[in-house]
Amino acid sequence: MRRLGLLVLGLVAVAATALAAQQSIAARLSGRASPEIVTLVQELGSTAASRGLPIDPLIQKAIEGNAKGVPSERVATAVRLVYAQLDTAAAALRSAGPNSPPDTVEIAAGGFAITAGLRGRDIAELARTGRPAAAVTVGLRVAGTLAALGVPPAEAVTLVSASLRAGQAPGDLLALPGRVQSEMARGATPAQAAAGLARAAAAQARHGPPPHPGPPPHPPAPPHP
Amino acid sequence: MHAETGDPRKGAPSDGEVVRAVLAGDRERYAVLVERYRDRYARYAARMLGSSDAAEDAVQDAFVRAYDQLAQCQDPNKFVGWFFLILRNRCFAEQRKSRSHVSLEAASSVPTGDRSDLGTETAERRRALQEALMGLTAEQREVFVLKHVEGLSYIQIAERLNTSVPSLKMRMHRAYDKLREQLRDQA
Amino acid sequence: MTKREFDPQVKQLLDGELTLADLPAELRQEGEEALRLLAAVDRELVSLPAVTWRVMATLERRRQRRLTWLLAPALAAAAALALLLGRPANPPAAASSAMVTVRFVLVAPGAHQVSVAGTFNRWDLSATPLVRSGSADMWVATLSLAPGQHQYAFVVDGVRWVPDPTAPAIDDGFGRRNSVLTL
Repeated sequence: MRRLGLLVLGLVAVAATALAAQQSIAARLSGRASPEIVTLVQELGSTAASRGLPIDPLIQKAIEGNAKGVPSERVATAVRLVYAQLDTAAAALRSAGPNSPPDTVEIAAGGFAITAGLRGRDIAELARTGRPAAAVTVGLRVAGTLAALGVPPAEAVTLVSASLRAGQAPGDLLALPGRVQSEMARGATPAQAAAGLARAAAAQARHGPPPHPGPPPHPPAPPHP
Repeated sequence: MHAETGDPRKGAPSDGEVVRAVLAGDRERYAVLVERYRDRYARYAARMLGSSDAAEDAVQDAFVRAYDQLAQCQDPNKFVGWFFLILRNRCFAEQRKSRSHVSLEAASSVPTGDRSDLGTETAERRRALQEALMGLTAEQREVFVLKHVEGLSYIQIAERLNTSVPSLKMRMHRAYDKLREQLRDQA
Repeated sequence: MTKREFDPQVKQLLDGELTLADLPAELRQEGEEALRLLAAVDRELVSLPAVTWRVMATLERRRQRRLTWLLAPALAAAAALALLLGRPANPPAAASSAMVTVRFVLVAPGAHQVSVAGTFNRWDLSATPLVRSGSADMWVATLSLAPGQHQYAFVVDGVRWVPDPTAPAIDDGFGRRNSVLTL
C-alpha cells in the first residue's frame, strides 16, 4: 500500500514537473512566438525532457524565427531540426560511454556542433577522449566554432581531441578558433591551420609544453621569378 | 615607399616611439601605426590582388600579424619597411591559395575608379590592363606594380626585394610581352 | 624574336630609358602601343578607412578571449570537483561571476540605426542598440556575457540582418547565417 502511495506521489510529482515545464515554455514564448509554434515547442519540449534533452535550444530557435519575421511553417521546420540535432548529439554522446550519461549542457554543445557541420561520429570521438564532461562540452563548442570557420569536420575533431588529450585547459581550447584565424590570415587554409595546431598539441602531449613560441625573425626571402 | 622614421608633422611620435610604447603594454597606441600606414601600401595590395576588397583583407591581416610579431621587428624606426614585407608575403600567399580563380574574380571586382570625370574608354582600358596583370605571375606583376604604379626605380626595387637589377629587368621584360599578348587576346 | 614580343628598344622605352623620339621610325607605332599600355596603368590611391577599426577590433576580441583563458581554469576545476562529489556537472554558480566583456563593432555606411540581437538578449531587436563611435560609419556596443555559446547577428535599420563579418558563422535554419561567439 505504501509503495503504491509512493508510486502515486512519484507520478504526481512527475506530472507536476511536466506541467511546470509546459507553463515555463509558454511563459518564455509569450509574445515571442505564434500559438502553433508554442504548441509545437511544448510538445517537443515534453518529449525532450523525458529523454534528457535540453529544451532551451528549442525555445531559442522559436524566438529567433519570430524575431526574424519568418513564417510559422518554416520556424516549425527549424525547431524540429534543432530537436533532431539534439537527439543525434545525445545518442552519439551516450555511445561513447554508457557509464556517465551526458547532461543537457553537453548535449546542447553537441547539438551546436552538429548545426555547424559535425556528424554524430565526430561528437562520439570527442566524447571518447575520456575527459570530464565540462571539458568535452567546451571541446564540442570549440569544434563547432572551428567548423564554422571553415575547418573540415575531421580536422576540427582531430585538433580538439588532440588538445583534450594533451590535457589543455578550457581556456586553451577556447583560444583555438582565434589561433586558426591567425594562421588563415597568414595564408593557410582552414584545414592546414587546424592540422598545424593539432601537430603542436600532439607534440605537447608527448613532450610537455614548448617554450614561449617565437616566429622567425625575418619574413621569408622573396620568391624567384 | 621609402623607409621613414616617423610622421613629419610637428610633435607626432616617431614609429620607433610608438612601437616601443606598444611593446611596453600600451596596446591602443598600435592604432597610430595602423592609421599612419594603412593606405601606404593599399594601392600595391589592390593592384597585386586585383580588388580593393582583397587588399583590405590583406592589409588588415598584415597589421594583425605585425602586431603579433612586433617584438621581432629588428629596427622599430623602420617599422614601415618591415611591415611591407609582411604584407608582401600575405599577398603572395593569397596568390598561391587562389591561383586558378584569380583572373575570373579580378575581372569582375577590379575598381576602375568609378569617378564621373573618367571617360568610359579610359575606364575600360584600365580594367583591361588590370585583368591582363592578373594573368602574369605574382613576381612579374609585382615588379610591374612597384615600377609603374608605385614609381620606384629598378635600384630601389632591387634593394627592397633583395635581388639584382638584371634579374628584375628580365622579369619585367617578360611581363611586358605577356601583357601585350593578353591585351591583344582581350581585344 | 617573334612579332608578339616587344622589340628590346621598345622595352627600354617602357623602362623609361629611351623616349619615343629615340626610336627608329619603323618602331614608332610599336612604341606608341607601348605608351598606351602604360597610360592605362591605374595609379589611383586606394584608401581603406575600415582597416583601423577592424584591426583594433580583432586585437581586442583576441584579448577578451585570453581573459577568459585566465578565468576558465577556475570553472574547469569547479566542474571536475562536482563530478568527484557525484553531482551532475551543471555550470557552477561561479559562472555568473566570470562574465566576459565583449565589444561588438559593425561598419555600416548609410545606416540610421544598428542593433545586435542574439541568444543573449532573446533576439530582441531593440534590446541592444549600437552607438556611433569615431567615424560616422562605425557602430559599437559593449556587453557582459556569460561564458558559453552565443549566436547573434546585427540588425541594420530594423530590417536588414547582417552577420558579423569577422566572426565564424553557421546556418540559422532560415536561409541566413548567424555569427557564433564561443566564450
